[in-house]
Amino acid sequence: MDGGDAVRARQLVFLLPEYLKDASKKMKRGLMFVKLVNPCSGEGAIYLFDVRLQQLFEIKVFKEKHHSWFINQSVESGGLLHFATPMDPLFLLLHYLVKADKEGKFQPLDQVVVDDVFPNCILLLKLPELEKLLHHVTEEKEIDNKKYYKYSKEKTLKWLEKKVKQTVAALKTNNVNVSARVQSTAFFSGDQVSRDKEEDYIHYAHGLISDYIPKELSDDLSKYLKLPEPPASLPSPPSKMAAQRRKRDK
Amino acid sequence: MESSDEAAIEKHRVHLRPVTLRDAAPAALHLLPCEVLASQSAPVGRFFTPAIRQSPDGLQVSFRGRSLRGEEVAVPPGLVGYVMENEEKLIGKQDFSGGLENHNQEEERKPVEPSEPLERDFDRFIGATASFSHFTLWGLETIPGPDAKVRGALTWPSLAAAIHAQVPED
Repeated sequence: MDGGDAVRARQLVFLLPEYLKDASKKMKRGLMFVKLVNPCSGEGAIYLFDVRLQQLFEIKVFKEKHHSWFINQSVESGGLLHFATPMDPLFLLLHYLVKADKEGKFQPLDQVVVDDVFPNCILLLKLPELEKLLHHVTEEKEIDNKKYYKYSKEKTLKWLEKKVKQTVAALKTNNVNVSARVQSTAFFSGDQVSRDKEEDYIHYAHGLISDYIPKELSDDLSKYLKLPEPPASLPSPPSKMAAQRRKRDK
Repeated sequence: MESSDEAAIEKHRVHLRPVTLRDAAPAALHLLPCEVLASQSAPVGRFFTPAIRQSPDGLQVSFRGRSLRGEEVAVPPGLVGYVMENEEKLIGKQDFSGGLENHNQEEERKPVEPSEPLERDFDRFIGATASFSHFTLWGLETIPGPDAKVRGALTWPSLAAAIHAQVPED
């Protein structure tokens, strides 16, 4: 103690999936925060990696001006709320596959997922069912029992379209308001409303998924989904509004 | 030294001790609608908590002479709230003293990377010091409405689940 008895260590407020607690029974280690690439911006981002479950979690931080926590008998400045939610590792693998594709040839995965800046990327190679995951976004060859992969844009767009569809379904079940137009068009014919709405959902879902893929691929996906230019009235996805992450334009 | 320190920042892993997730005692959390610039101990139980009143329009308290209205907000289903603190590097070293691979007395589960130990000298440690299943959300004069950003953020885990769920094969 440095004499300042009021001074205390920084406290972080986290929301974690409940099953991490159960999975941690009898486990002394194996949960770790690591810095890996943000597949959208290419910058660094913090992830939680569970060695036992071999699962990757994304960390997002809720941050709004003028908030603080009271935590028991202490005050914590900033009022930050950290979320750890399961992350599809394929978004990260895709980042490396797209990068390696510039060479335009089939390569073994351990030559694709290499990163001097974020050396913890080797953890990705340990994930279970990696081959099944890669099947969604790559062409593969097997020579002498060794697998070689090559990024496939066609397969990736198909995979992303499925992602958009399941995100649309979740937006509907969660009653997320995807458009300011929803209320006003409700006065008019039913047909028009539902068509407009569906398009807005797809737009919104596309925006959410675009947070995990490079800009170029996001544009290709937009064309693939035949989305028109975004109307100005669309609210931004909750992840952008609420849980701020390192901005890509920073 | 400087340059190797920088490299270590990118390389380092912050280990979360699983045992602390099980042992964390429940904590009382309040999210205030103002910025208190310091992070330090505070006699919350002496001034704040005893002043909280139940009123028809939610909980009521005052802080620095301003009236606050609040309500209990539950942690979304399937999630648990934790308060975490970095551990002093010294503590980490004590616990994991000696060789990282071979001289560990504790039974080592299958190491993730035989050529590279899970925990390294330059790694850091973090532990949960408390847990919570709900917190009190406070607004100035009125309870934060349904459009409050923090409420939006709490719907994120259910959306994230859909975005990151595996898609069916063709």
